[in-house]
Amino acid sequence: MPSFTMRSTVRTDKLATVAGYVAGFALLFVIWHLAAAYLVKSILFPGPWPVFERALVLIEDNILQEQIVASMRRIMQGFLLGSAIGIPIGLAIGSFRIVRWLLEPWTEFFRFIPAVAMITVAVIWFGIGEESKIFLIAYTTVFVVVISTAAGVGAVGRDKIRAAQCLGASRLQVFALVALPATVPYILTGMRLAMANAFVTIVAAELIASNDGLGKLLWDARLFMQIEDIFVALVALGLLGFLTDRVFRVLIRAFAGRFNATV
Amino acid sequence: MALVSLEGVGKTYHGRTGAWEAVRDFSLDLADGEFFCLLGTSGCGKTTVLNMVAGFEQPTAGRILLDGVPVERPGADRGVVFQGHDSLYDWLTALDNIGFGLRLRGLGRRDRRAKAEHYLNMVGLTGQGAKHPSELSGGMKQRIQIARALANDPRMLLMDEPFGALDAMTRAVLQGELSRIWAETRKTVLFITHDIEEAVALGTRVGVMKRGPGGTLKAVIPVDLPFPRERTSDAFMATFREVHALIHDEIHGAH
Repeated sequence: MPSFTMRSTVRTDKLATVAGYVAGFALLFVIWHLAAAYLVKSILFPGPWPVFERALVLIEDNILQEQIVASMRRIMQGFLLGSAIGIPIGLAIGSFRIVRWLLEPWTEFFRFIPAVAMITVAVIWFGIGEESKIFLIAYTTVFVVVISTAAGVGAVGRDKIRAAQCLGASRLQVFALVALPATVPYILTGMRLAMANAFVTIVAAELIASNDGLGKLLWDARLFMQIEDIFVALVALGLLGFLTDRVFRVLIRAFAGRFNATV
Repeated sequence: MALVSLEGVGKTYHGRTGAWEAVRDFSLDLADGEFFCLLGTSGCGKTTVLNMVAGFEQPTAGRILLDGVPVERPGADRGVVFQGHDSLYDWLTALDNIGFGLRLRGLGRRDRRAKAEHYLNMVGLTGQGAKHPSELSGGMKQRIQIARALANDPRMLLMDEPFGALDAMTRAVLQGELSRIWAETRKTVLFITHDIEEAVALGTRVGVMKRGPGGTLKAVIPVDLPFPRERTSDAFMATFREVHALIHDEIHGAH
């Protein structure tokens, strides 16, 4: 009985959430339309309809997909590389005081040098090809992931560790079976924040030095005054970011153990 | 020979505000199979005593022996049930929480499951094994903690006010269940509480602590009442009054 009511409320909640999102997006487009049609009334600010039509053309010509794939591939590669570097460093900082003393100055120093400021040096080192983009995304990812991972290790409840110790856990078991899984939600939260940084960085990098990608689409559209193209790129970025963030939220919840397999 | 011996145990903390003597000259022998309730007001050092027996903290004076061997670190021979339920693993199901100690020992999935099921049933949670801690009530979480400690088959159980955060009804139910489980398993129990009725209802002996700082054992009262204990009986009331009189001085002025 209780599990039944719980399950049906969860389902209602989900429906309400989806309905809320649809309504929210619809409202955004309505306001956009009203602003374009009645307030601004300028060819420099197209309404949602011409932008949508332009998007269909770009999709038909396979242009939009190519730019999206180019940008997302860079984001994913750099993001995964940055996370793969950041997670072990964060775990080490959180676990060992000596590592914290040694590495914390680094993270506290570099995280205030934004990736955008590193574009010039990245292009000089790696050229305008894929390497410079991946470097920049990895750079922008790594420090956020390090900091949240280290914070996660520090936040593992004392009783969780003690309970494992008095069940006979070795140090390695405490780390692998308690500290690590307890830290996963923090790691994912850090990665989620880093993903937002990655979007900022990839557009900036592609604006300045690239042959393709959404940033390049934006730049070319500006050069040729194709205002609809600019809006297509902006909406695409927003939607891609939104979807990626959803995926992270689902993962975080799943790992936090708030849902069981039957829900 | 006693299972556990505390010999003149003391614990002094050194902090920024100076030294704080939490426990002073605490001596006690626990016999195999007894249920010892350590009763005291808040801040008397009773949890510190438990933490030292568990091996989480080291005494600064005296020594603690388990089977004649000094306790130096936490170990699988002493199962601990914590006051809060933060000690459960949120990412594991109830059943996997119970089987955690068995997993540490490398027991196979099937054996682990069977044993965990046995203890899940023992604590009265049959059919709830697939749930995560976040889906269980406070009382159920404490049952899981007890099952987790028991599944590991320790020499003794250390319980730190395990029912302190529960409502009165749930607490009474769980006290009854714990008594039944103890009668079934005959594990040695060191049970920390500040609740006189709880101590008299559960313990074969009740130790009353002096209030802190420098908390120490004031008196030990044997409770020779049959289980299950009838809380409204005259004999129960008499023991309650005896313990109450002892702790009365400690309560007043303890704030």
